[in-house]
Amino acid sequence: MRFANFASIRNIGIGALAVLATLPLLYAQRPQQSQRDERTQRVAPSPRGEPASRGVSVHAPEERHPAVVDRVNHGTIRHVDTHIVQRPIEVHRDIDVHQHIAAHHDVDVDIHRPQFWHDFVFGARFHGLRAGYVQLSVGGAPYYYDDGIYYQQVGNDYQAVYPPVGANVVELPNGAIEIVAGNLAYYYAGGAFYVQQAGGFVIAAPPMGVIVPELPPGTVQVSVNGGVAYQFNGIYYRPVFVNGVTQYMTFMP
Amino acid sequence: MNINNRMINIISRWMRPAFTAFALMGLVAMVASASAEEAKPAVVKPAIDPHADALLRRMGEHLAQAQFFSVNAEIWQDVQLKSGQQVQAGRTIDLQVRRPNRFHAEVRSTRRNRGLYYDGMSITLLNRIQNFYGSIPAPATLDEALDLANERFGIAMPLEDLIVSDPYQNAIRKVISGIDIGPVTVLGVPCEHLAFSLGKVDWQIWIEQGAMPVPRKLVITYKDEEGSPEYTAILSNWDFQTKLPDFMFNFEPPAGAAKIDVAEIKRKNQTHTSEGKQP
Repeated sequence: MRFANFASIRNIGIGALAVLATLPLLYAQRPQQSQRDERTQRVAPSPRGEPASRGVSVHAPEERHPAVVDRVNHGTIRHVDTHIVQRPIEVHRDIDVHQHIAAHHDVDVDIHRPQFWHDFVFGARFHGLRAGYVQLSVGGAPYYYDDGIYYQQVGNDYQAVYPPVGANVVELPNGAIEIVAGNLAYYYAGGAFYVQQAGGFVIAAPPMGVIVPELPPGTVQVSVNGGVAYQFNGIYYRPVFVNGVTQYMTFMP
Repeated sequence: MNINNRMINIISRWMRPAFTAFALMGLVAMVASASAEEAKPAVVKPAIDPHADALLRRMGEHLAQAQFFSVNAEIWQDVQLKSGQQVQAGRTIDLQVRRPNRFHAEVRSTRRNRGLYYDGMSITLLNRIQNFYGSIPAPATLDEALDLANERFGIAMPLEDLIVSDPYQNAIRKVISGIDIGPVTVLGVPCEHLAFSLGKVDWQIWIEQGAMPVPRKLVITYKDEEGSPEYTAILSNWDFQTKLPDFMFNFEPPAGAAKIDVAEIKRKNQTHTSEGKQP
């Protein structure tokens, strides 16, 4: 009897040890579960986060999705997940991301945004310039600059000229459009392609093969190899349908 | 008792509790595993009000069974300016569809005017302002043509959710919840207002009550975009009677029109964004 009691106590002891030994298994599951939850939350703002949406109980508290994506087009349920891009809010933070990075969206929308440089006419002469113009020197030649338009003095007048490559300005012209070609970001306005440099923006040589949503002001229509094209400051632009609307690709014949 | 019997006795005495211990370990492991299984998110079926589902299905079947139809739409689309201000841009769409492989739309706004044609063999875009056109070879059905246009060329065919061969399945397949808001009128037409959610995108539809269950209004809200912009289509002049002959879908270049390329959408190596500083 005494031996039997000893055996029972020993069995209970070993059983308890077994329970203690398996407790880590129990708790090993819990961190995995929380990790899964974290993954779900991270997936939620993903542009193609459909799987996270499906299967989630609609009775759960509504998750606020961060506004971090753009779509090429609006107006479709069928292709709601097609061509979604992350908004690159982390780049060019030193410029003014809100002003220079935006959704292209459906370019079929119709909002007219006249800019000062839209009125550029090559060779146009003015007796004076607006207040706030800036004097520049590009390759030793004097220029005057006002919001996307460059002038040179001719007698007592100021003549509008093409944007000179190498011109350095502190601020981009109003309405500059970001064009990413390869790994380089250009800012396109008034027929000039600006790149960011320390302390400002400098006009670079126009990149070839990039698509811009609008022609520079004052382009001249020409025929190249029997096709329609436009010429501005020695650069040619070929019309092409992009996302269903007409845009323009730079090229050299 | 010889030595062998004593050894067997000792081994069996120690093996029994060891066996019990392993059995207990197994039991606890099973409980732990079961508990973890219970903690997995349950696969919940979409919570769609059966009445909303039935109304949407009825509308979808009505459009799917129509061999041809015409409709006009007024589109209002939220656009966020660089200043952060949100404004609406408008346009109109005149749409003709003939199943299984004809489509024509004219999209007009103050400064834009374009046509889109699909004749079962190609999709053609026409910029009526600048007199440019471009064509791409297209598959033989509307669904495939819509997918090709969107996925390879970034062209969202206007009102494509109403054009597809099965508008109900097209609309419901990603829905996680749907409710019937109730009766309401759209431009004086009694409608039933339904609201659905895809999670990050919500959409609402107003379906005409009565014998012709057509959509009278569609709103898509993009909650995952800055400012949660909306796309609104107000539909009118539904016509299921007037026959639509071939010539309506066959593109003929206008006099002096120039043919230009249709670019495939680029994903990574080049993107461009619009707008700049506000005037």
